[in-house]
Amino acid sequence: MHDMTQEDLAQAIGVTRQTILAIEKGKYVPSLGLAFRISRYFNVNIEEVFTYEEESRMIEID
Amino acid sequence: MIKNTFYLLIGCIALALLGIFWYSVEINKPLFIEISFVLGIVIIYLARRKVTDLIEDERSAKITEKAALRTFQVFWVVFCVFSISAVMQILRVPSFPRNRTFEHAPNILPLEIMPSRMIGYVQLGLLCLMIFLYVGFRFYYARKYGEWETDEE
Repeated sequence: MHDMTQEDLAQAIGVTRQTILAIEKGKYVPSLGLAFRISRYFNVNIEEVFTYEEESRMIEID
Repeated sequence: MIKNTFYLLIGCIALALLGIFWYSVEINKPLFIEISFVLGIVIIYLARRKVTDLIEDERSAKITEKAALRTFQVFWVVFCVFSISAVMQILRVPSFPRNRTFEHAPNILPLEIMPSRMIGYVQLGLLCLMIFLYVGFRFYYARKYGEWETDEE
């Protein structure tokens, strides 16, 4: 998993690499469907991948 | 079809339409370019469905949607402003009653109907405005949603 690239993840879940990058940088908040796809791909719960911050409304990806 | 071939096709269609537009002006038949324009759009639409490596995910869809919505929101106001002035010309507003008290008072002349050439210029301006608005908003939202972000990878 650690040698996985953004391109690999993007292809696996059917989005562009820029989308993965934008999510990582907090520029884009993914839909619930995409968030679930990402978490299922890593076989973890959605809360382990994304966090919701009330104040800044930023979602971060681990 | 790959993405670059599709972009090349768009370029060719744009050039062809430009030539057809020129020819339509020369022969003074607007219907020629109008039909060609619709055909060009249909060809682009059909070709786009054949592109295999063009990924449109929810982020790019959101960028397109936001840019289109904002363009519409700004454009319809400007369009209404021009349309109202054009409608006023048709209705000849204001057409005040003539001054019957003073027979020698100058009559208020009705507004002239907007010449067709002027309508063409206004339409050209609106068309350019719409394109610039869309491109501008598209750049803005693409930047906002991290289109040109770089990383250390």
